[in-house]
Parts: sequence; structure tokens; C-alpha cells
Amino acid sequence: MRKRTLAGALAGVGLGLFAGGNAWAESTYNIASIADFTGPYADIMKDMVGARHAVVDWWNDQVGKGLGVRVVIKDYDGRYDAAQIASLWPGIKAELNPIVTLGTGGPDVAALQGRLPTDKVPMIMATAGYGFAWKPDPWIFNPRPTYGHEAGAFYEWFRNARKVTAPLKVAIISSEASPAYVDIHKGADKYAKDHPDKAEIVEIIYTEVQPTDLTTQVQRVLRKGAQLIHIQTNTAAVVATKRALQALGRTDVPIMMSSHNGLIASGKAIGGLKELEGDFEVYGMAVPTEGKTAPHDFEQMLVSKYKAQINWTVATVMGLNQTMVALRAIEATAKKNGADKVTGEAVRNTMLSTPITSEQTFGILPNLTYTNEAPFPLSGLTVNIATVKDGKYTIVADKAPVPTIGKW
Amino acid sequence: MIFDFLNYLINGALVGLLYALVAMGFVVIYRASKVFNMAQGELVVFGGFMVWWMIAQVGLPLSIGLPLAFAAAILFGLAIERIFFSRLAGESVFAMVMVTIGLLILIRGLILVLFGPAVRPFPIVFPLKPIIFGDILIPRSLLFGGLITIVVGFGLSWFFNRTRTGLRMTAVAEDHEVALSMGISVKRSIAFAWALGSALSTIGAVIYLSGKSLSFLASDIGLSALPVALLAGFESIAGVLLAGLIVGTIQGLVTAYVDPVVGGAVGSVFPFLIMLAILFIRPTGMFGWKIIQRV
Repeated sequence: MRKRTLAGALAGVGLGLFAGGNAWAESTYNIASIADFTGPYADIMKDMVGARHAVVDWWNDQVGKGLGVRVVIKDYDGRYDAAQIASLWPGIKAELNPIVTLGTGGPDVAALQGRLPTDKVPMIMATAGYGFAWKPDPWIFNPRPTYGHEAGAFYEWFRNARKVTAPLKVAIISSEASPAYVDIHKGADKYAKDHPDKAEIVEIIYTEVQPTDLTTQVQRVLRKGAQLIHIQTNTAAVVATKRALQALGRTDVPIMMSSHNGLIASGKAIGGLKELEGDFEVYGMAVPTEGKTAPHDFEQMLVSKYKAQINWTVATVMGLNQTMVALRAIEATAKKNGADKVTGEAVRNTMLSTPITSEQTFGILPNLTYTNEAPFPLSGLTVNIATVKDGKYTIVADKAPVPTIGKW
Repeated sequence: MIFDFLNYLINGALVGLLYALVAMGFVVIYRASKVFNMAQGELVVFGGFMVWWMIAQVGLPLSIGLPLAFAAAILFGLAIERIFFSRLAGESVFAMVMVTIGLLILIRGLILVLFGPAVRPFPIVFPLKPIIFGDILIPRSLLFGGLITIVVGFGLSWFFNRTRTGLRMTAVAEDHEVALSMGISVKRSIAFAWALGSALSTIGAVIYLSGKSLSFLASDIGLSALPVALLAGFESIAGVLLAGLIVGTIQGLVTAYVDPVVGGAVGSVFPFLIMLAILFIRPTGMFGWKIIQRV
């Protein structure tokens, strides 16, 4: 009996040591989270960064523990400024030695696309892709096609919905304040050139990031027959354009927005969602309406179980989408190479060889299959479209197909 | 075609008058303290947030909220002078300009801490419906703003050239030491200039942002007003009105006719080209004081 007790105790100690040994062998990897706490997108950062941290907490608890991998995430303020990000990067590299970086927008891409291949660190974005970064052998990955692709998908859906048979006449309100803004309208312009039977860009209006008054410009494009006003820059441009349309008494020409300047954000900036009745937003990820959906359930779980400090917003969906892609890639790499052999280069190779299914992202994103040809999947992508109907934020189309556009 | 041209011309001129109003803030502060205030755009944002806070947040009616917002902005201007510039009396102009750069960063941080980074809906102060004459369309906020700017401009010009306080400030602008020797309080003049500059920025915020959205990006208008102040010369209030009309009209026409042709925002760059050209030809601007030194 005594022998049996002793053997049991020894077995217990042995098991404990084994388990402890596993804990000691847990490999820790760092993710650099580039944010914008003091720049033009500071207003959405709480949700975006909160979502990034919440997904990491969930993944460490539910997935990483079983793999023997722990991920640590640290935030840096890039201020949505390419010069600031370029100057921060050497410090991030030295301090954190990240295996993955999470980016915020165009300035991150502009600042780091030349350095990341040398430093062997992939960057995962939350935004749509950019034409200026559409190059083979990517180190930067977008879970969404370019803004031009997303706009093109909307043009086609809108044309069918309104039963327009001629090319849809589109006016674009843009700005030269950021390389990303310029790229956005170039992409839409390219779509119209590639599909002249489907869309015609009647004019691209350039404004400041906080326009003074756009009534004259909007009147001009309406006179040119614009059936849709496309704004994928910021909320201030949406508000100024809406005020111009209201001043001109036009409610028949909707505005199409993107994720970062969408209906909820622009609604807050103009004083209420009802002001944007009949306008649209389009992007290739889940729309955060109040309905019960798989992405919303996942977000609710993060709030209740992991005390996530987030609201169900587009910014939250953006934070979720990029972190989920990064963590699924780390997960696949750890499974393939072993928990102690996860490097930035290995994660990048996994991105290019292992598809991420929509189920793996709880429906936040469509299926993603990256190739060596582009930083975003070139086929199989879809977009979701939302509007304000009777004052309510509503999904009007999900999984609308993304058209093909040539490079620009 | 002719109506389009008139629309661009009128709207450009009105936008130019808005720039002139903000530029008056530069001029008033420069005249009193010889300080080029790099944080003028941030004063516009601060004034804007005061208006938003009083009306949209506290819920005061326009008739009470606006005067209170102006009072808060004036106090803010006085506080800036008391905390920073009264201690710098006698220091080099370079040191003072560096302080205004620090002020720019400080005000941005202060706004982020006090009000957060969210974009806010600015109250509708002027009716949204434009005035329409046939095919000509004039936004009311810009029209009323233009009229206010002209009244303020001529009022300030009269004040600086005809009143005792204004003439004292003009003396301060010429030479601090001479003004002191004549018994003029340089500190009081500078404090008054900062209060006035802050109030002008708040008027600018009301015209610029009425019915639109407010975030610290609105400070960009300070940069747009810079060519107007430089073109006029930093001493002339009435000159700022003319410079504003020139810059605004040219910018409006270039934006309408050149931007679509070249496919870029030439209109926003053009005022700076005019400014550079003027500075090459006449470094003191169109109406700046020419300093003659007798040796």
C-alpha cells in the first residue's frame, strides 16, 4: 500500500514536471501593432486596437496554449504618417523583434514596403489593398482587394439594383493628402476604363481633408449626370458632400463610402445616422449590424469572456480581421514547423501556401487564398454592402462578387 | 458656361475672405508681439471645440452658447499670453516662434485629452440652404462669413489707426523699447492681441465649420490662410482682405478649370506659388511696412 502511494506520488511529480516542462518550453513571439492614436484615424483606434488585443488573448487561451506558443502584442503610434512610421521601425525591430506587424493604413505600406523583405517581417493590414503595393512576392498582405475592386463590386451591384442599363455615371470626391487616397481614385478610374460598358467616371474632385464647402463642385457633377458619389477618403468629406446635396435638395444621388469612413462614423460626424438615409458603405469583411451573425457572436464572446474594451463597429471588425489572419498564419506555421520554429519568413511562406477559410475567421472574412502575384487574393473575394434604411443600419447585399481590374 | 465661371469666382472670393479672417489672427498677433504664431490653426480648432461644447454638448441655445464660447476662447488667448509670452518679454523673436511651435503641439494634445479624437458634428449656425439666383448658387455660411470678415476687417483697421488703444498697439508693433519709453504697457498690448487673435479664430471656426464636422484636422485652415497673410504683409489688416480675395479667387478658378485637366489638386498648391512669387519680388508683402533705418 505504502509502495503504491509512493509510486503514485512519484508519478504525480513526474506528470507535474512534464507539464511544467511543457510550460517552460512555451515559445513566445511578438507582434508589433502599428496604430494611429494622434492622427486622422485616432477616433477609431480604441476599437481597432482593442480588437487586436482581444483576439490575441482569445488565441493564446484557446489555440496557442495547445500549440505551446504564446503571442505578445505591443502598440506603437504611427500617427498615420509615413515619416513617423519609417523613423519608428528600426526601434520596433530592435526592441520587439516581431514576427508579424499589424498595419493601419497606406502610410505604413508606403513607409515599410521596401524594408520588410530585408527584415523578414510580414505585415498584415486590415484595410483594402493598394495599387502602388500591388507587386509580386508580397511581404504585406491585405485580407481585402483594393479599394478600386471594392468600389467596382459596388458599382456592379448598384447598377443591377437600380436596373441601370447604360454605364453608371460616378463622381469621385478625393484628396491628394495621402498616397492611399490617390490610389483609391486611380483604382476606381481603372475599373471604369476596363469596364466602359458598366461605369463612367464623370469627374474626380480634389478637396482638402476638411473641405470648406463643396456645393459648387457637387452641383457641377450633378449637372454632368452623376448617379453616384464615391467617397473613400474620410468622414469630413462625406459630411461636406452630404451638406452640399442637402443644400441642392438632391436625395436621389447616394454616397458610397468605405470601411474607415463608413455609415456609422460619418453618421456620428454629421449628427445622426438618419441624415445618411439611402447612402451606402462597401467592403470585403463583415458588416457590424446589430443582427445575430457569427462575427457578432465572436465579438460578444470576446467582450464577455476576455473583457474586451470594444464596441461592435467597423473599426473593431478591422482589428479582428487582420489579427485573425496573422494568428491563423502563426498557428499553421507552428503546426507545420514546430512551436519553436516560427519566424517572420516562415509565417510569410505559410500565408502564401495555406488558405485561410471563412470559418477560421468566424465569418469575418471570406475564404482567403494568397498567391505570389499580389498582396491580396486575386480570386474568390466578395464584398458586403450596407445602407441606412428607415434610419436603421442594414445589410443590403452580402458576398457580392469582386470584379477583375488590371493593374494601375 | 458664364454662370459656372461666376459661381467659381464668387465662391472662390468668399472662401478667400474666410482665409482672410483666419489670416487676421496672424496679423493681429504679429503686429503686437512680432511673433509669427504657428499655432493659429490650432486656435481655430480650440474655438471650434468651445462652440461645439457649449451648444452641442452642454445644450445651450446659440444666443448664449456662442458668446460663452467666445469668452472661453478669449480667456484661452489671455492664458497663453500670461503663461508663455509674458515670461519671454525681451527674448529673441526666434525663441518666441519656437514657443508657438510648442504651443501647436500642446493645443493638439490638450484637445485630444479634453475632448477625445472623435469627429464631432458642428452646430448649424448659418442656414444650410444656399442663396440661389438663377444658376448662381451662394452658400449662406460663406456669404455671411464674407460680410462678417469685411466688417471685422474694416473695424480692426479703424481700431488700429484711429483709436488710442489701437495706436498704442501700433506703437508696440513698431518697437517694444520705444513703446515702453513712452509709457505704453507692452505686456497689456500683447495680451490684448492674443485675446483678439483667439476671438478671430473662433469666428473663423463658426463660418468654416457651420453644419459640418469638427476634428483637429480643421487646423489645416491655418496653413491655407498663411499665403494670404504673407501676400498682404504681416502688418496690414485691410491688405489681408484684398490678399484673401486674390488668393481665394485664383484658387477657386484653378480648382475648377485646371484640376480636372491635369488630374491633381493644383488649386491647393497655387496660393503657395503666388506667395513665393510675391516674396521674391517684395519680401514685405503687398502692404507690409518698409523699415527704413538711419545710420
